[in-house]
Amino acid sequence: MSSTIDYSQELSVVEGKPPLRSIDDAIIKPLDSKPDKKYYMALAVTISMLGIGVIGLALSFYYGTGLWGNNNPVGWGFPIVNFVFWVGIGHAGTLISAILFLFRQKWRTGIARFAEGMTIFAVMTAMIFPAIHVGRPWLAGYLMPYPNQHSLWVNFTSPLLWDVFAVSTYFTVSLIFWYVGLIPDFATLRDRTSNKIKKIIYSVFSLGWRHSNRHWQHYEMVYLILAGFATPLVLSVHTIVSFDFAVSIIPGWHTTIFPPYFVAGAVFSGFAMVQNVLIFIRKIFNYEHIITLDTLEKMNKIILLTGMLVGYAYGMEFFIAWYSGVQPEQFAFVNRAFGPYAWAYWIMVSCNVISPQLFWFKKIRRSIPVMFVVAVFVNVGMWFERFVITVTSLSRDFLPSSWAYYTPTLTDFAILIGSFGLFFTLLLLFTKTLPVVSIAEVKAVVDGAQPSHKDH
Amino acid sequence: MSKTKNDKNFWKSLKEYYNDPDVLKSKSNEFADGVTEDFNPSELSPISRRNFLALLTASAAFTATACSDYQDKGEIIAYNKRPEGIIPGKPNFYASTCTGCSNNCGVLVKTREGRPIKLDGNPDNPINKGKICATGEASILNLYDPDRLSGAHKNRRKVDWKSIDSEIIDILNKAVSDGKEIALITKTVTSPTYKNLLTELKTKYKTLKIYSYEMFDDLNKRNAWEKSYGSRNYPSLKLDEANIILSLESDFLGKEGNYIEAARKYAGKRDVMQSIEFNRLYVVEGMMSLTGMNADYRFRLRPDYQKDFVLSLITEITNKNGKSLYSKSYSGKDFCTKYGFDQEKYSTLVQDLLNNQGKSIVLAGNSLSEETHILVNYLNDVLENSALYDNNSINNELIKNSSKADWKELESKIKNKTVSVVINAEANPVFDLSASFINEVETKISLVDSENETSSVSNYVLPINHALESWGDYNSRSNLISLQQPVINPIFDTRQKENIILTWVNGHSEAYSDDAYHQYLKNSFKENVYSRLNTPAAFDRFWFASLHDGAVQLNNETSANQFNYSAVSDIKVENKNNSEYLVHLQKSYYIGDGKFAGNGWLQEMPHPVTKVAWDNFAAVSPLTAKSLDVEMNDLVEVTTDGKNVKLPVIVQPGMADNLIAVELGYGREVISDSGKNTGTNANILLNGKGYFFDVNVSKADGTYKLASTQEHHSLDDTFVKDFHRKRKIIQEGTVKEYQKDNRFLDKYKYENFDITKGPEYTGLKWGMAIDLNKCLSCGTCVTACNVENNVPVVGKDQVLTGREMQWIRLDRYYSGTPEEPIVSNQPMLCQHCDNAPCENVCPVNATNHSTDGLNQMAYNRCVGTRYCANNCPYKVRRFNFYNFRDHFANAYYQNDVSALAHNPEVTVRSRGVMEKCTFCVQRIMEAREDAIRENKPLTGDMVTTACQQACPTDAIVFGDSNDKNSKLYKYRNHELGYHVLEVLNVRPNVTYLAKLRNTHSEEV
Repeated sequence: MSSTIDYSQELSVVEGKPPLRSIDDAIIKPLDSKPDKKYYMALAVTISMLGIGVIGLALSFYYGTGLWGNNNPVGWGFPIVNFVFWVGIGHAGTLISAILFLFRQKWRTGIARFAEGMTIFAVMTAMIFPAIHVGRPWLAGYLMPYPNQHSLWVNFTSPLLWDVFAVSTYFTVSLIFWYVGLIPDFATLRDRTSNKIKKIIYSVFSLGWRHSNRHWQHYEMVYLILAGFATPLVLSVHTIVSFDFAVSIIPGWHTTIFPPYFVAGAVFSGFAMVQNVLIFIRKIFNYEHIITLDTLEKMNKIILLTGMLVGYAYGMEFFIAWYSGVQPEQFAFVNRAFGPYAWAYWIMVSCNVISPQLFWFKKIRRSIPVMFVVAVFVNVGMWFERFVITVTSLSRDFLPSSWAYYTPTLTDFAILIGSFGLFFTLLLLFTKTLPVVSIAEVKAVVDGAQPSHKDH
Repeated sequence: MSKTKNDKNFWKSLKEYYNDPDVLKSKSNEFADGVTEDFNPSELSPISRRNFLALLTASAAFTATACSDYQDKGEIIAYNKRPEGIIPGKPNFYASTCTGCSNNCGVLVKTREGRPIKLDGNPDNPINKGKICATGEASILNLYDPDRLSGAHKNRRKVDWKSIDSEIIDILNKAVSDGKEIALITKTVTSPTYKNLLTELKTKYKTLKIYSYEMFDDLNKRNAWEKSYGSRNYPSLKLDEANIILSLESDFLGKEGNYIEAARKYAGKRDVMQSIEFNRLYVVEGMMSLTGMNADYRFRLRPDYQKDFVLSLITEITNKNGKSLYSKSYSGKDFCTKYGFDQEKYSTLVQDLLNNQGKSIVLAGNSLSEETHILVNYLNDVLENSALYDNNSINNELIKNSSKADWKELESKIKNKTVSVVINAEANPVFDLSASFINEVETKISLVDSENETSSVSNYVLPINHALESWGDYNSRSNLISLQQPVINPIFDTRQKENIILTWVNGHSEAYSDDAYHQYLKNSFKENVYSRLNTPAAFDRFWFASLHDGAVQLNNETSANQFNYSAVSDIKVENKNNSEYLVHLQKSYYIGDGKFAGNGWLQEMPHPVTKVAWDNFAAVSPLTAKSLDVEMNDLVEVTTDGKNVKLPVIVQPGMADNLIAVELGYGREVISDSGKNTGTNANILLNGKGYFFDVNVSKADGTYKLASTQEHHSLDDTFVKDFHRKRKIIQEGTVKEYQKDNRFLDKYKYENFDITKGPEYTGLKWGMAIDLNKCLSCGTCVTACNVENNVPVVGKDQVLTGREMQWIRLDRYYSGTPEEPIVSNQPMLCQHCDNAPCENVCPVNATNHSTDGLNQMAYNRCVGTRYCANNCPYKVRRFNFYNFRDHFANAYYQNDVSALAHNPEVTVRSRGVMEKCTFCVQRIMEAREDAIRENKPLTGDMVTTACQQACPTDAIVFGDSNDKNSKLYKYRNHELGYHVLEVLNVRPNVTYLAKLRNTHSEEV
């Protein structure tokens, strides 16, 4: 892109003016071709990671949660940190597909499908943790309100229960939203494939889609409604996740700023993760013209914005703690920055607040290697943010006599690695089974696809 | 089986048919002569055919049960015929005597369906009055120790008792006829009948000599009393009448003398409900002790300077009250300048002693020298404090403990081969006294309950009964004979120690019967006690009544002796050269001299001051740590006389400089599972020079991780300093301040309000109050709770991670400077908040509130999210990270015996479940059942929690906080009452009474 951009004109989302047929071809190519060596190698790595996690989990189930670093003041450790982290990653998808859709941000079309996929996988990864972190996972079903002869009912005042509903609702809606978006693409796939089995599968999933005008009308309406439905969920899920902390009385947790702060953080880390993965996808599958550098730049701007929101929250927490005049509250924050976990705090601040500041520079926003590194930092920083909130607050709360330092164990790390393994394995499988970019939507934003009064 | 026609007599030969005697004889032996000579069952593979089949069946059964419900722990079978005197579900109580140490406190044993499950003090005992120490509470675990020996052993092989007895009798007779000495080593003898038995043994075997010892004895004190008053038996003290108590290196509230009695008497003068005429405690000591933590004024002084201190006090006091009979002078001013004492504090002490003549007491620690004891006796005499000596209750000495010279003599006799037999009667000289020389003796006989260092080198090991399986009588105080009766049949193949010796006295193994010592004791009791009492009751009646009460009171008042002034005349001012480092070897608070090192509950009790569990350590002052360049967990090497020990360091605020305090009893090598790899054996440093002596100390390479239940941060770190005061966790005042304004705490009160209306508690509502004026932080409540509530032992690795399970913990906070810290203690347990933060966050309602104000835990419903524990501001919830019952690598709990110690009324919690203090809900339920049966309303005073029952100072009050006439109501509404973290508005049901320090100022 040259520096002479005509800002009075809406920028084209797809670079060049590819024929629609070529878009079909480009997007469907990975589905039609056999996976190459590199794909298998990547899959081997992610499955190994998953395997490490499975071993860690199996050991934990067999021996007990004692294999983790959790101790008496620090009842929640890595599993809850990972849970919040993965739920956060999931946020970008719905934000991109639903909120940006409502705001008519056309640049989202190239990345929406993939981001939604990531949402589903991230939430699936996240949902493992509440189930496994409990002391008796085989009784986790008690968290579901089901009628039973003991007349035992769940406790609706517990944020953990709200979590169960919030996350499962979010997952269900995201899944439906994703699937609805896929229906026209399934029809395209069905029409193109010559493989009998694939044909049957695509036919079933395309629900008899014939690209008719009526279908499109209904589709647009449903998509709009679902987008409207999903939008509040983007805000509610992480709000409720933040309630896990905010509803408690522990200094460092008991904070009203948490809901917006968590949502901003979630979007922040979600965008960073989407950006990271897309950099590979557009390169490997030659989607540079569909997922353009402009799109990546826009994402970087959002990372910059949310990064500053998060930074503001960090500052505000300190201010409110000081302003409250409550000694334990003040200490909780001073302790974060200067106590035994100061290392974690400063990793968090430098990754989340300082590193995104590079995105003020356009050159950096458009430099793929630099933006990749910054986004990796953001993800590391956001993981540490959850660690800092969860662990430092618990390790030194009200009574100094009960303070203790939390040290994660190998099993903790194994499960963390396993969660990345699961997420990336699902992503890899996704790239080979479904179109990672929405065929129908991209076609609609290609230059000239829409009627216009400009010269043709 | 009835004979039928088909039963035929088969015959193999005609000889057999005609009943030839040869054939008959060979038929009686299945194998011909000589055939079985090579056949020795003990040499065969230990897995016999039957065992093999049993194992095969067992493994099949295991496989089958592995697939069954994990909660199915087998069948409970009801009594088919109910034994007399047992109502299933109802406990029986028996009075007995604790033999954990030579105090011999009276205990009440609670048994359920025939097995003892809890020990508590016997309320009828006039000395310990219903209370026992932490060690006594936990000692029930030793009864069910799976590592107890079973069956008599000769050279590590099981042999039947009869043959081993006759063998030993032959050996003893041979030793006598050879003129070789028989050395019998035993701990301090406090049982008159056991003493008689030993005398008889001595009469029977002329060359027998008795050596008795106690690791931490009062020999110096007795010697001093002998010189000062002409009697080795010193009186107990009327501490409850003392206004001023000055303790010189005497941990009389923690581990010295009968500290249960002392604690009760001391705290009796600290009861704000009675009067605020408190006693004032001055402590002069090196290591920060439990007593020192509770002091109103505390001075730091190395134990070797104590003599100078007493001399200076004598000079100051006699100069002022004009009673000087002693010419050596050492002015207080000189002393203060030399040892850096606060002059003002020192003169306060002198003035207090002078103002309270006849109403104060100076106590000298048992480790101090004989001379210091004499000087202290003299000081008490010039202060007319002998008025506080209780001559009715005198500390008896039945057999004089052996002196250092006696042991030296024994060693040389053994080296000269004039000793042929050593009998170790329930002692452990090889570990305690590093007496490995007994190895050289030809025959070593050990009478022990489980293997120890001495029994492991013995040829004959005879396992003995636990105290709860034994008969006995004890007379450690002149006014009381405390009786001991068995409450369970011996669990293993063991015999009572006294009964084994009785067999030897009788001289033939057939003389043994299980009842023999019982009869012997009865006869001895009849002769020595019954006959002297002139009671109208028949002997049997009297005997059973005495057994029922657990003790017989005697009236043995002796007249007070005059102080013998010549005793002090030749004591000189020492002016000892300051050596660089001094080591002070001390008794462990909970495992004693190592006798209880195999008891997991006691190993896991955090040290009352340092809060370190499972290990001993070298405690040094912050300044000494700096000069040695060490921090916590660094190793130091302590060297004396060519012997050295490497110990991990604890930096202990308030310690005297250049002093290293080390507890003994750790580092046992031959011990049951729980005691293995705990601490370092520092007994080897003992060199006959007493318990403190000069040593070389240097930093050693490496570190050793100590497991402390409280985070250690340096005291002067402003970052975390004085949080307990800033956060109003500890609220304190002084007696003066209270006298001026008894509502001085009100200025810290918060006006809390709710935006919603909570439930109202109109009926009975349970509450607790803890009087911090009386609480000494002794830890008895902790072990009592462990026993009552089946709290598991988790092991050192888990304590290191911070997963100890005790339901009550004793929090210790320092304020002031690292050199002169002020210590505040606080028992912390579930506060049963009315507005409990744990309850609303549990997603499955596993923790909730009862209508009578209890914060309840439904273990079966708990899935283990740990959210409740996170949200508990007091951090009193405990999570089962593992199934702690099988956590130990060698599965400490996985045996048939250990589980018998469990209280059947309390659920044994499994892995993944949250637990916490229940306010002993099982006791509440029991009281409720009783009330319903007796058709009367349940009232607060019908329930006693385990911690309350055990508390030696009655600092814990439990009851109905809605009952305006109850004791609890008065405590809850006392002007000194406060709640921890009141500002949170969680509305706890545990009230703390602020501690009043009895200092001369109004400031804390």
